[in-house]
Amino acid sequence: MSAVLSARGLTKRYGKQIAVDAIDFDIPAGRIVGLIGPNGSGKTTTLKAALGLIPFEGELSVLGFDPRTERDALMQDVCFIADVAILPRWLRVMDAIDFVAGVHPRFDRSKAERYIANTKLTPTMKVKQMSKGMIVQLHLALVMAIDARLLVLDEPTLGLDIIYRKTFYQNLLEDYFDEEKTIIITTHQVEEVEHILTDLLFIRDGKLVLSATMEEIGERYVEVMVASDKVAAASALQPIDQRVVFGKSVMLFDARRAGGLSRAQLAALGEVRNPSVADLFVATMKGTYA
Amino acid sequence: MSTNLSKDMNADMGADMTPTPQANAGKVARTTTPVNTMKWLIRRELWEHKGAFFWAPLVVAVTLTLLLGGGFLYGIMHAGSFELQFGEHQVAVNGVPHALRAQLASSVASSYLVVAAPLFLVLPVVVFFYCLAALYDDRRDRSILFWKSLPLSDRDTVLSKVIVALLVAPLVVIGTGVATSLVLLALGLIAAAFNGINLIVPVLSDMRLYLSPLYLLSFLPLYIVWGLPTVGWLLLVSSWARSKVFLWAVGAPVVLLAILSWFDFLMGRFSGVSLGAKWFGNEIVARVLGGVVPGIWFGEVDKGALAQMQGGIDAGLLLGISYSTLASPGVWIAAAAGCAMIAGAVRLRRWRDEG
Repeated sequence: MSAVLSARGLTKRYGKQIAVDAIDFDIPAGRIVGLIGPNGSGKTTTLKAALGLIPFEGELSVLGFDPRTERDALMQDVCFIADVAILPRWLRVMDAIDFVAGVHPRFDRSKAERYIANTKLTPTMKVKQMSKGMIVQLHLALVMAIDARLLVLDEPTLGLDIIYRKTFYQNLLEDYFDEEKTIIITTHQVEEVEHILTDLLFIRDGKLVLSATMEEIGERYVEVMVASDKVAAASALQPIDQRVVFGKSVMLFDARRAGGLSRAQLAALGEVRNPSVADLFVATMKGTYA
Repeated sequence: MSTNLSKDMNADMGADMTPTPQANAGKVARTTTPVNTMKWLIRRELWEHKGAFFWAPLVVAVTLTLLLGGGFLYGIMHAGSFELQFGEHQVAVNGVPHALRAQLASSVASSYLVVAAPLFLVLPVVVFFYCLAALYDDRRDRSILFWKSLPLSDRDTVLSKVIVALLVAPLVVIGTGVATSLVLLALGLIAAAFNGINLIVPVLSDMRLYLSPLYLLSFLPLYIVWGLPTVGWLLLVSSWARSKVFLWAVGAPVVLLAILSWFDFLMGRFSGVSLGAKWFGNEIVARVLGGVVPGIWFGEVDKGALAQMQGGIDAGLLLGISYSTLASPGVWIAAAAGCAMIAGAVRLRRWRDEG
C-alpha cells in the first residue's frame, strides 16, 4: 500500500534558522503516528508543511498530492485540529454544523449531531460562551464526522483537564479510527497517547532521531530494574539512560546498539519490562535543554 | 497488464485526463454529499457581521421612520385644529394651484427615495470596516486555522468577502432604503392629505414611483466598478498587516499624500517641479479609500448637467451622467488594480504563516 505521507529531504528555513532539516519519512495508511519532540523541534512546522500552510523545500507527498500546489484537492481528504480553542468566537453550534455540512462533501451530519447530543453543548450556544473543553468537544464533533483519510492533530488537548483529554482520545479511537484512516498526533502529554499509537517519530532540532513502530520499539528498547549487586555489570553494558527509583537503579537499554544485547542477557540483571514512551523520549532527548 | 493498458490510454487521451495514481490508490466507496461552497461562505460572513449588515441599516431605518414619520403624524394631529380655528387658511391650502400641485406630486414621486439618504452614508462605513477586518480578524484569533482545515480555497474565501462587500451589503441597504422610503412616503401622503394637499392619486399614478427602486438598483454595477479599488486595497492590507490594519490602510496613503503635497508646496515656490500630489490625491487616495462611498463618481461629472434638474430627480439623466464616468480610463485602470489587489490578498492568505 502506498504511503499516505511521504517526505524526502523536507526542509524549512526561517531566515537563517533551520526549523526542519532535510528529513525523510513515510507514513503508511491505517496508522496512528505520534510525532513527538520538545518545543521548537520542528513538529508543528512539519505538520504545517504537510497541510500546505507554509512553503518549504524538498519533496512532500500527502495522499499523492503536493501540498504546495494541490492544497485545494488535498483538503477534500485531510482534516486537522491545529490547536485548541481556535473556533471563531461568534460561531454557534448549529451554524458550525450547517456550515461544515454545506462545504464538506464527506461530512456526516447525523454523526456530528449524535456526538454533540452526548455533551452539554446546545444548538444555539456560541463559542464565546463555551469552556475550553467544550470548544474542543465541538471541534472534535465536527472533525470526527468528516470521513477524511488523514487526520492531523497538533496538541489537540493542550490545557484541557484530564476528563476531557481521556474522552477525547477514547472517542477518536472508538468512533473515528479505522484501517482506511491515518492519524498523526503531536503532543507533550505522551503518556496519554502512547497506548493508542502504532508508530513513533521522535524529532529533535529539526531532525528525526527515531522512527519506528511500537512493536519495533518493544523489541528494541528494554528497561531493567537492576538488582543492587549487579549495577556495575549493568553499567558496563552501556545503558542509554538510568535513573534511581526507590533506591533501585532503572536502566534503559537499546538492544540494537553496537554488539547487540539479548533479552536473556538483560533478564539476568534484574526485572525486565518495556519502557514507557515518555521514558524513552526523555532518554532520547537528553541534553536538549542543557 | 491493466497498468500498461491504462498508461497507453492515458497517452492517447492526453495528460489532463490522467488520474493521479496515488490519489486513487486504496480508494473505497466513500459517501459524498453535494456542496455549495460559495453560498455557505457568504452565509458565514453574514453570521459573523450580522450587526454591521443587518442591525446597523435597520437601526438607521427605524430611526428615520420614527423621526420623520413622527413629524408627519404631528402634522396630521395638528391638521384638525388648524382647519377648525382658521377656516380661511384651509381654503387657501385647498386652493393650491393645480400646476403647483402637479409639480409637487411629480417631485414626490421621483425623489421620495432621497429620504433614505442616511442609509447610504451607513453603507460605506460598514463596507470599509468590514473589508479591513475581513482577512485580519481570523488571523488574529487564529480561527483561520479552522477555516483552512476545511476544503475551502483561499480564492473562494476572499471572493466571498468581495461579493458580500460589493453586492450583498449594497443590496441590503437598497432594500432597506426602498422599504423605509415607501413607509415614509405613505405617512407623508396621508399627512399631506390631512393638511388638505391630497397628492395620493397623482403620486400613485406616476410611473416614476415604481421605477425609482429600479433606477436605484441600476446604480449597483457602477458602484461595484468604483468600489473595486477600495475593496481590493482594504482586503490586501487586511490580508497582509500583522497588526494595526486601519493605520496601514488609511495612514500609508494619507501620509504619502501629505509628503507629496509638502514637497509640491515647497518646490512650487522655487521651481516648477511637482511630484503630482494633486494627481495622487485624486487618482490614488480618493479611489482606494473613497471608492465605496455611493455617488463618489459625481466628483467626476459636469456639475452643469446636474444643475439642469428641476422638479425632483431626473433619474434617467442622473444615471446617464453617472455612467458616463465609465468613459474615463482612470476608472477602469483603478478597477483592474482593485482586482489585482484582490488576487494579491488571495496569495497572501494562501502563504502567510500564522505561527
